[in-house]
Formats: sequence, C-alpha cells, structure tokens
Amino acid sequence: MLIGAIVAGVVFGLYYTLVGLGLNLVFGVMRIVNLAHGDFLMLGGISAWFLFTSFGLNPFVSVGLVVVVFLLVGLPIYYLVVPRLLRSRDSEMLSLILFFGISQMIEAVTTIGLGATERSLPPRLLGVGPMVILGTRLPKAWIFSAAASAIAVLLVYVYLYRTRLGTLTRAVMVSREEALATGIDVNFVSAVAFGVSLALAGVAGVFAPFILGSITPNMGVAINITAFAVIVVGTLGNPLGTLLGGIIYGVSLMLMQTYLSSWANLLPNLLLIAVLLIRPEGILGRKTRRA
Amino acid sequence: MKSKLLAVGMLLAAGSVQAQPSAPAEIKVGALYASSGPYASISMPVFDGFKLWVDQVNAGGGVEVKAFGKKIPLKLIAYDDQSSTATAATLYNQLITQDHVDLLIADSGSVLTSVGVPIAKEHKQFLFDVSGTGAAFFTDDNPYVALMADPVSTIWPHYISDFLGDEGAKAGIKTVAILYSTNDFTGTQAAALKGFFERDGKVKVVYYQGVPTSTSNYTVLINNIAALNPDAVLELGYVGNDIAFLRNLQDSGNQFKFVFSIYAGTEKEEIEKNVGVSALTNIYSYVPPSNYVYKPEVGMTQQEFHAAWDKKYPPGSGVAFGANAVYGYMTGLVVEQTLATTKSLDQMDIHNAVFALSGKLKTLDGTFELRKDGAQIGEVTPLGQLQPAGKDELNLIAVYPPDLANGKAVIGK
Repeated sequence: MLIGAIVAGVVFGLYYTLVGLGLNLVFGVMRIVNLAHGDFLMLGGISAWFLFTSFGLNPFVSVGLVVVVFLLVGLPIYYLVVPRLLRSRDSEMLSLILFFGISQMIEAVTTIGLGATERSLPPRLLGVGPMVILGTRLPKAWIFSAAASAIAVLLVYVYLYRTRLGTLTRAVMVSREEALATGIDVNFVSAVAFGVSLALAGVAGVFAPFILGSITPNMGVAINITAFAVIVVGTLGNPLGTLLGGIIYGVSLMLMQTYLSSWANLLPNLLLIAVLLIRPEGILGRKTRRA
Repeated sequence: MKSKLLAVGMLLAAGSVQAQPSAPAEIKVGALYASSGPYASISMPVFDGFKLWVDQVNAGGGVEVKAFGKKIPLKLIAYDDQSSTATAATLYNQLITQDHVDLLIADSGSVLTSVGVPIAKEHKQFLFDVSGTGAAFFTDDNPYVALMADPVSTIWPHYISDFLGDEGAKAGIKTVAILYSTNDFTGTQAAALKGFFERDGKVKVVYYQGVPTSTSNYTVLINNIAALNPDAVLELGYVGNDIAFLRNLQDSGNQFKFVFSIYAGTEKEEIEKNVGVSALTNIYSYVPPSNYVYKPEVGMTQQEFHAAWDKKYPPGSGVAFGANAVYGYMTGLVVEQTLATTKSLDQMDIHNAVFALSGKLKTLDGTFELRKDGAQIGEVTPLGQLQPAGKDELNLIAVYPPDLANGKAVIGK
C-alpha cells in the first residue's frame, strides 16, 4: 500500500504541478495572485468538452487549440487589468479582491450558460485500462495526463531558461523596477507571462476530466486552494519549486487517503500551515526564488 | 325594531367574519435551491420539478385550499444558497421571519436540509423536507418536519444487505468493502449497512472508510480495497463522487463480483453521460421512481411527468431528468393534498394534514408513509442492476426484493 500510494502520488503530483505552475508564474513576474486561475482551468475543461462533443476532437488536439486561444486571450486581459492594479498602493492585496471577483463572474456566467451539472470526456479517449508501475495499477489516463504535465513543465523551463524572452521574464521576476530602468518592455514580457499562465491553466483543464472525474462551474475555488498550497510549499515566485510542491502534495494526499482518509481534504491547509510555520520562504527558499 | 334587527344582523355578520378569516390573495411558498456548488446537481432537478408543479397549479387557477373553500394562486419565493450551509441557514431564517411564508420547502439532500431542521423547529414552522434523509433530523420532540420523497437513510440500504446475505451469499459473496463520503446522507447509510452486516453475520465487512465529500479521485482507494480482495464493494457518495469512483474503477482494471453506487441508478442519465456505458455495466444501484413504474392515485404517472419535464426542460438544457426531478414534483403533490385538507394555515394544522396523508397518498413515487417522528418509511428503493439492453444501452432492472423485482441479478466479475 505504501509504495502504491507513493507512486500514485508522484503521478498525481505531476498534474498538480501543472495546475500550480501558471499561478506561480504570474506571482513571480507580477507579484499578484490570480484567484481566478482555477476558473480558467475549468474553462479549459469546458473547451475540451465542447470541442469533443461538437467536433469530435481528441483532447490531445484540443490542447493545441486551447494553448493558442488562452494565450491570446491572456494578452488583452493583462492590459485591461494588471497595469492599473500594479499602479495601486497594495497590488498584492487588491489582486486578491479583483481576481476573486473575476472568479465569481466566470463561475456565474458558466453556470447560467451551461447549467451546474457535471461534464466529462469519455475515458477511452486517453485509453481504457491500467498501466502497472512498480506493481501499482494506475489509469492510462493518469499516465498520459502526467506526461502532458511533464512536457508542459519542460516547455516552461525552456521558455524561462533557453529563450531571450525567458531571460527578460526572469529579469522582471528579479526586479520589475530595474528591468524597466534597463529598457525592457516590462508590460509586454508580463503580458506574455500572463498569457502563458492562462494557457497552462487551460491545458490542466483539458486533462481535468481524466484526473478529477468531471468538470463543474464551481470547481475553481477548490482548485485554487490546492494550487496555492502547492506553490507556497514549493516557494512562491519560483516556477521550478512548483514541481517539488506538486509532488509533495500528490504523495501526501495519497498517503492521507490510504491511512487517514476521512481527513484528506484538510491536507492543503495542513501543508500551508506547516510550511508557513517551519519554512515560510518555501522548501526551495530564497536562494532560488529570484530565478 | 328595524334598527334592532339591523344591529343583530351586523353582529352576526361580524361573528361569521371572525369565524371564517378572509382568504389570502396568494399562498406563499418558500424554497431554497443551489444553482452552483457541489449539491447543484441534486438540487436543481428537485427545484425544477417543484417549479413544474407550481406552474401547473397556477395555470389551473391556483391550489384548492380547504380552509378558505376556494382556489388560491401560489407565490413561490425561492433563494439560491449556492450549496453553502451558512447561506442556507440565513435564507431559511429570511423565508420564515422576513417573507413570512405559509409553507417552507427545504433544499435537496441532507447537507442543505441539516441547517433548516433546527431553524424550522425554533420558529415552529413546518418544514417539507424533500430528500434530507439523515436519521438525526427526525426526533419525537420535533413535530415540525416530515420527509417527503425518500426513505430515511437508516432503512434505505437494507435491501442491499438483505440481497448480499441472501442471493449474494449463495453466489459466494462473503466479504464486503464500504467506502463512503463523510456527510449525513451517505454516512448514515454506511453506518446502517455496517450494522446490518454485523447483525446478520453472513457477510464480513473487511474495509470501512470514509472520505471527504469533495474527493475527486479514487485510484489509490480502489487499489487499497483491491489489496484486501473483497467480493463486494459498496461506494456511497454524491454524484461527483460516483462519477470519479466509477471512472477510476474502470481505469484501474480491478473487478469485483458486486459493485454498488447510489447515483448510478438514481441519476442514471447524468452518470451515464459522464462515465459511459461500459463502466456502468452490471453496476448495482437503487431503483428510483424515475426508473420504476408505480401506479399513482394522485398526480401524473411517471411517463406523463417525464413528457412534461422534457417539454418544459428539453434534453440538453442543463438539468437532466432523474429521481430528484420526481422528488421535487412529488413534494408539490404532498403540498397540494395538504392544502386540500388542512383546517387552517397554522403550522400544527399543516403538520396534522401532512401526517393524515400517511399510508393513503399514492403517487409516482410510491406510497407516502410517515413514521410518527416524520421519517419517510413508505417510498421503498428496490435494489437494481444496470444490465445491457442492446448496443450502448443499459436498463436499470429491479432485482431485489423478489416481490418488486422485474429481472434477475447477474453476480460475478
């Protein structure tokens, strides 16, 4: 049972890395908390559901479309909202309020438009049946979702550490003011990062039906709480720390389900409290925080 | 002399006015629903079913109220609690103290009803509990609640244990795993089932675990259960739990002789849409009134109601037809019969009128019968199995008890 829980936890944690990655990227670059991140994830899931039920598109095809659309949608949203927010006196706190409002709007509009019931994609789209890893039977859909997450994490790494835009993004993460002083188009760099963040949420949404069973308009808040725990554990503002945070969350959840199942939903809060008490800067800490 | 007669006449007239209060322009019915949140999928069908009944009644000029000897239109005052018990508590209070509703209808399910029961009791307002089946809601010292459309949780699952102890034991079922969501509805059923199995001693419980109702992945839990190799697995959760469990069960490749899930049958259309036919084949569930034909003496038949539902809420409009839709309409029928017999709108008179219907009211949901504490004991839920019926189709067949069965169970992996 122990090995099974750990193996499943690592795979499950990879998915939550993807969920938290976009949230952390936005915080790292803009120092704001996008509380609507989980709702954009839900919209990614709804998009995959719509593309499948209307055009029969496989989720692997939908992922490409979702990435492009969400990236492009992110740019105007950034210019509309974030620069004004960053000019305010307490942008971190105000971002919580603003994006909470956006989250509520997205949930309400989706509920009005589509109803509150569950939606999902057929499991066969990612393969029915188990794959055995170290003696543990895991759904094929989990493996494919985790692989997609790993690829997305890798692409974010390439974007941040192997491209000129990534270098500029990291410069903004270190100091927005200094980046501005050196002539970097901070708003453009941030807008791209915001778009990438939404695209990551969209990709996580496409795979949500296979990992979480179904999508509902109200799922955003719970996703946000978990994603927030993941990025705080891994270190706020450090995208690579999210990988560690995701895996710690996944393994802890599976161990809780195995040995203390009734209390499993307390886990994100317990992790948050533990990290804030013991190592407030997150597990990777300050040394790697500045990218 | 003339003026004396006139005075006497006026006195008599005044007396008769006091004895027969004037009829209100409308009967105010207060209800809660959850348009979002985890309970929306069981709440909205109930609310839409109830609304369908209200619209039908008002289209006919209103509901017959015996106390006033005439038809009076219904005014539905409904608020959205968004699946939050805190919001629901505020709104129950608002309906009673601000809106002064004549009749109070609870939101669907035990979680959102749980906060309404003490509030209604405190304000001495009778609560029409649609489907809050938690056993703790019904006590001898509270006359202000009655369960309309579901049997109370403690008696609901007894056909499962009877079947496993009877036909299951003959087919070699000796051990059972119970995995439940920790809320009033499924927690009570799980505890009752465990008690039944321990009392009967025919099937041994080898796994008994609760998980939060928010649980959305069951892979590790299923693997843990499989490691104990039980013959039967009973998963008791809400719609979202059942979808995740059944998908993960199929994906895991683990197989058991007997698998039960509440909503596989209770909300068959919703679950089938999300899980697929192959994952549901041969799964056991309750047979709700949306899949079992009872002969009603009051209201529409199941077929008529389904047709009326599809006309008002066309398939694909967001809320699927299922047991909860029937529960909403059924509650409307109880309200209708109550108003047709109650002496007044006093809440104890309403209590008396509701309880007077016990054992006599037969609807598309079966026989309405109340225990003296308000728990529903008449509307039985036979055990059913989702059996293949042609390509990509499943029929929910009642397999137990024998007197209600319309097919035979298929036990095996």
